[in-house]
Order: sequence, then C-alpha cells, then structure tokens
Amino acid sequence: MIQPPLTIPNSIDIQHAEKIVASNGTPIYVLNCPEFKVVRLSFVFHAGTITQARPFVASATANMLAEGSTKYTTQQIAERLDYYGSYFDINIDRDYSYISFCSLSKFFDPTAEIIEEVILHPTFPENELATYCAKRKQQLSIERSKVETIARENFAKAIFGERHPYGISYPEAEYDSMTREDIATHYRNHYTAENCIVVCSGNITPEVLERIKSITASLHCSNSRCDIRLPEFSTSHNIRIQHDGAVQSSIRMGRLLFPRTHKDFIPMQVLSTVLGGYFGSRLMQNLREHNGFTYGVFSAMVNFQHTGYLALATQVGTEVTEQALIEISKEIDILRTELIPEEELELVKNIMAGEMMRILDGPFGIADVTTENILCGFDNSHIQQNLERIRQTTSEELLALAQRYLNPEDMITVVVGDFS
Amino acid sequence: MIRYQHTKLSNGLEVIANRDTTSRLVAVNILYKVGARNEDPDCTGLAHLFEHLMFRGTHNVPDFDTPIQMACGENNAFTNNDYTDFYITLPKDNIETALWLESDRMMGLNLSEHACEIEKRVVIEEFRQRYLNQPYGDLNMLLRKMVYTTHPYRWATIGMSPDHIANAPLETIHQFYNNFYHPSNAILSISGDIAAEQVFDLAEKWFGPIADSPFTAPQIPIEPQQTEARRLEVERNVPATTIVIAFHMGNRLSHDFFLGDLTSDLLAGGDSARLYEHLIKGKKLFASVNAYISGDVDAGMFVFTGQLLPTTSEQDAEAAFWQEMELLAEGKISDYELEKVKNKFEANTLFGELNVMNKAMNMGYYSMIGDLPLINREVDIYRSITKQEVADFAIHTFKKENSSTLIYRAKQ
Repeated sequence: MIQPPLTIPNSIDIQHAEKIVASNGTPIYVLNCPEFKVVRLSFVFHAGTITQARPFVASATANMLAEGSTKYTTQQIAERLDYYGSYFDINIDRDYSYISFCSLSKFFDPTAEIIEEVILHPTFPENELATYCAKRKQQLSIERSKVETIARENFAKAIFGERHPYGISYPEAEYDSMTREDIATHYRNHYTAENCIVVCSGNITPEVLERIKSITASLHCSNSRCDIRLPEFSTSHNIRIQHDGAVQSSIRMGRLLFPRTHKDFIPMQVLSTVLGGYFGSRLMQNLREHNGFTYGVFSAMVNFQHTGYLALATQVGTEVTEQALIEISKEIDILRTELIPEEELELVKNIMAGEMMRILDGPFGIADVTTENILCGFDNSHIQQNLERIRQTTSEELLALAQRYLNPEDMITVVVGDFS
Repeated sequence: MIRYQHTKLSNGLEVIANRDTTSRLVAVNILYKVGARNEDPDCTGLAHLFEHLMFRGTHNVPDFDTPIQMACGENNAFTNNDYTDFYITLPKDNIETALWLESDRMMGLNLSEHACEIEKRVVIEEFRQRYLNQPYGDLNMLLRKMVYTTHPYRWATIGMSPDHIANAPLETIHQFYNNFYHPSNAILSISGDIAAEQVFDLAEKWFGPIADSPFTAPQIPIEPQQTEARRLEVERNVPATTIVIAFHMGNRLSHDFFLGDLTSDLLAGGDSARLYEHLIKGKKLFASVNAYISGDVDAGMFVFTGQLLPTTSEQDAEAAFWQEMELLAEGKISDYELEKVKNKFEANTLFGELNVMNKAMNMGYYSMIGDLPLINREVDIYRSITKQEVADFAIHTFKKENSSTLIYRAKQ
C-alpha cells in the first residue's frame, strides 16, 4: 500500500482569554468552553522557591493550604472534595506556585466553598505540619538515593551556582526546624492579591464567574511588594559524583541561556528538538537505536522567569558511560559544523506543530498554555506567532545559533554513577 | 458516556468508532490480545520486547516513526500482562497515515538479527533503569513470585531476568509475531471528528486485504487456590522499610472485581480515604500507604502497601493493616462514605472522557476483556453496590490463608 498524502496544519486557532479584573486588582482570565461539563479554576502565585525565606517553606506552604482552615479540618476538606469527586493539584517551581481545582459543573458550588477555605483561610495546623515534614523528609531521602535525582540537583548547582536560589538544594534535616510561623509568614507575604493571577476554563457560566470573582476579590493585599534580587550566576563545568553499586550512570549536560522572551528562544527550541526532543532525534538515534546504550535520552529548553537553559538528560549503562559522553559531544559538534538537512528540519517543525495541537486538545490544556503565556507577558495570539516563528527557522540560522551557543567550553556536564 | 459503533471485518479485525466533534485530533488505537501471560516461562519478557520490535520497520516502510511525525502525529505503546497497546494521535485529516502504518506492520515486519540485537540491549537498559537501578525496583517482582505459583502473572511484563531477553532466539521471536500479530487477534478503536461509516470504510480499505492466520493459543494455567499464608522477608539498601500484603481476588468480569475496586477506593481513593486518615494522619505509622487492585483480566491481586516511618515497628504496621480489613469485614461503613466513593468513581469516569486518546484506548480495552458495553455500564454497577457486599468481599478475601506478606526491610 502506498503512503497517503499529508495535510500540515498551518494555523492553530485558540480562543483568546477574556480578562476581567477583580475589585482588589487581581486579573482573572476566562476561557469558556461550555461543551465540557467541567470547571477548572487555577490560582498562580508568585511564590516559588526563590521567594522563600528558609528552606522548603515555599513548597510546604503550597502543599499545606488544604491541611485545615478556619472553618474546616483537613479531614473535612478532603472529605468534601472527595464527596463531590472534585480534586486539586498543587505544583511549585522555582518562580511560581500553581493551585488548580477541578470539578464537575454540577458540583462547582459546593467545591467553591472549599476553594474559598483553602485559598483564603488556611490555618497550617501544627500537628499536620509535623506529619507533613516527616513524610516529605522520607520521600526526599528516597528520591536522593536515585542517580537521576542526584544528577538533577547537582546540575542545577553547577549551572546557577551552589548558593543561587535557582541552583540551591538543602539537606533533608532542614525539615526538622520548620515552624508553623515560617509557613504562615510565607503565606501572608506571597499569597496576596498583587502576587496572583487566576485562570478558569470549562463551563464558565455567569454564576460560576460571579463566584470566582468574589473569591478572588477576597485575596488580601500586602503593601510590601517583595522584590527578589537574584545574585549573579556562577557556573562550574565538570562534575562527577560516585554512587556505589549503580548499574547505570545518570548524565546531564547543558548550559545557561535565556528566558522564553528572548528572540532566540524559539529557534533554540527547534535546535534542541533536533538534538534530543523527540523519539527519532539525533541523540535517540545514536545512543538508543544504533548503540543500545540507553532506554531514553531527551533534550529541551527550560524556561524560568529570569533566565532559561538548554539541557539534555539520559541514563546509560555504567560500562558505556565514557562512550556515551563521546557520542553526545559528537552530536553537538555536528550541529555546529553541518547544516541540518531540509527534510529533517521539516520533520522537526511538524513535530513541534503537532505537539502544540496535542497540548491544546481539551479545556485543561488550553488553560495551561494560556497561563504560561500570561506569565511570560504574552496573550494567546503568541501561539500562532510561535508556530510562524518555527516555520521560518532555517538550517543556516540554526547552524549560526549552534556555533554561538553550543561551544564545548560553555557546556556543563554532570555524571553520577559507579566509576570504580 | 462514550457513544460508539462497532463492526468486525471478514478477516476478524474488530473496529470501534467514537465521534468527538470537539477535537481537531484523531486517536487511533490498536490493541493486540497478547501480553506477558502468553509467554513461555523459559523465555519471558518477549511480549514487551516485541512491542519494541514493532517500531523497527517493515520491508515496505523501513522507518515507522518518521511518517507519523511528518504528519504532526505522536505515537507510543505499552505492554502489560494481558495485552499490548499501540496508539497514535494526529490531526484528523492525516488519519490515513496512521492506518497505513498500522496495517503495514500487521502485514509483516523486517526483523533482522541486527535490529533484534540492538533492541534487546535497549530493553535490558530499560530493565536496569526501571527495576535494578531504582530503590524498591524489584519489590513487585518478589511479590508476584510469592503470590502466584503457577499462573504466568508470577513474572512481570519486563520478564524474569535480563538473561531471558538476551537469550531469546530469533526463531522464537518470529514465531511470536506469527502467533499473535494478525487481524483476528487485534482491535482497532478510533476517536475523533469522523463519522463511524467513514471509519469503517477506511478500516476496510487499509486492513481488509490482510489475510488472517488464526492461531489457538495454549491454555493459560490456572492458579490453584492458596491454602496457607505466605511470607517473605528481604533486606535491601533503601531508606525506609515497606510492607506489602496481597490477596487473590476475582477476574475482570466477575462481580468480585467491582467489589474489590470499590473496596480499594474506600481504603485509598483520595486524601479522605481510610488508610490515609487512619494510618498516616491518625496513628502516624506510615509515610505513605496504598491499597489497590492489580486490575488483571484473569484472577488478580488485592494489595495493601505501606512505607513505614522510622519510628514504626513492623509488627504495628502489619497489625494496622489487618485492623483495617477487620473494620470492613464487620461492615463498619457509613452510607456517606459509600456514596462518596461512588460519586468519585463517576466523576473520574467523566474526567477520563475529556480527550480522544483516553476514549480510543478505553474502547479497545473493554472490547479486549470481552464486554464492550460495560464501558458505559460500570458507573451503574458501582452505584448498586451495598455495604453488605463490601463486608462479604472483605470476609472472603482478607483471610490469612489467602495472604502473601512481603517485608522489604531497610538495611540499618
């Protein structure tokens, strides 16, 4: 049978978020998709780990929001959400914390009553904090017995500097001295009206919106806007960490670049996709398909509020670690010396377009992309612009970028494994 | 509620179509009714290795991934003990690219010695990454070996050992393809903004010409009834001791399955569930705790698992699990609690129907277990379950002589 012809989508239409401002100044972005009988409501606070005054307090605050409020105990909150089949997700990165609630449309009302308690009136009870700290401490020590965790933490240190808020990691024992007051203070300073954006999607009826507005308007204002001054980055290049008995080595390689708003971000995203951003990428072909060194290898551009970096990560058999490092360097070298063939570049562009379509399939995905755009200062027309920017990228441009940004002397390499 | 239409081609391929007018994507799922339970005990891991080999190209299309990616599509696959599933999502106008590739690799593979060797190495690295180089990586393997003495569920999908994969002869691999990869052993399910008649026409166009080669798979041995409590204690270099207690329960189509599933939700479905409330928050015995069913097609497992806090003794932890089972057996369940897990099941069913890929995958799955309409009946089944039924389930399942206990002890 012969290959059927292809249609390549050259536009992605995504609805624009309607922006409303609550009476305390907090913006609310509305993506109404009434054909889905669900509601998702997300609060994003500028309260990531770089804003914390002591170790682990940012994540503890976010994770303990639902552990008790002035009206309800943690049990009651969990009970009520479960009873209506509603749930929430808490995510935190270096810059932001994201708290999202999902419910069936028909149960939004009783869910909103809990949302209000969780976002506006958390009490961070002492006994729940003790349980939380014991649990997290143990989880972290398990995580840190894995080579990939050790590599990830040390890569961040290497790229940003050991003391930099983007690079720092703390010993588990820091959980022992965390107090309720630390968390309450973090909440008071950072979970405020001027530190927040709200994004809602799904079946947003006028009644639902009124409720969302009223919850948002009750966020307290703090007069002290916290300005975070980031120190200079300090980079170290080659780090090897011995991990006895590891049958695989974890490799991370990359370099500091720039945030999403930089003019070269999108073409560098194309370049990192060519290198290791999809199943048939150059690194995957080399390390997995031709050599069988690994189960997988990936590279990507990673975006922070104040910067961004390119990184690749893989785990390879202990005995082939050195060979794998050589092959990785070779692939980066080829990007710096040879034009990417037309057909391969076309393929990568189509993959990136398809990926955007998949992320945007369904009301929750649209909300995620909208949030990311807003945090970078864009609106949703940015998606179409991105697609066009990807389409315009040429092999010549990518070669020039590789020569500029992928010099071996700028690369940071972290390897964790058993070298004995 | 997933609306679907169903047909069967003359070569035995089942085709199921769901129309979703909200999506610009189409999901094409193809499920082969073969998993690790169909393997020979001396050559395990083959079903999963085969899933990998299905991406190694054919005489006609040497590279499977590139045409999918060129069509803005994404594809992947997974294998478990019961079946192997391949799925593709792509813009709906490109649906024929997916059908072309799937029909092509159902017709024949190009399995060279070299391709097999490389893929074996990749799978062995997967074995290392996921099972050998991870804390607790071998826990499930130890558990299976204890719970099952006879049924092939006694090994994990990845296989019993990397040696089985390394030593699998090319001849055996070819035979495996001939036995299991043909139209009457497969289910094609599609969700997207395409009318069912058109889906059926396209299925006929691409898959109709493939000749079937029926094969009668050997009977899978039945696990004999367990009559004595089993116990295994191991010591590993991990930060915290984990305790697992597993019980045999009914197969996927028995009423026992729904009772087991609902019971596991009572115990561990969400933060307000019993185990979390009683054992983490209340007695503060565990750092994490769970109860789940293995969800297999043949008679499967009901599993309790908990990771101990450093201050907790193994005896207390084990006793706490048995007390929870006792509470259920005594019927100490409130109407409110039962209603809660039923509501939650209904909501999760709806959240799971928001995108085309989940729907296509689910249709294939329910057809594979032999009861496609069950896909829309399960919420009602859960709604009808009574307290007494849960208590009865606990009484006949959570018995010492039906238990296997694994103490996975942290080295001091």
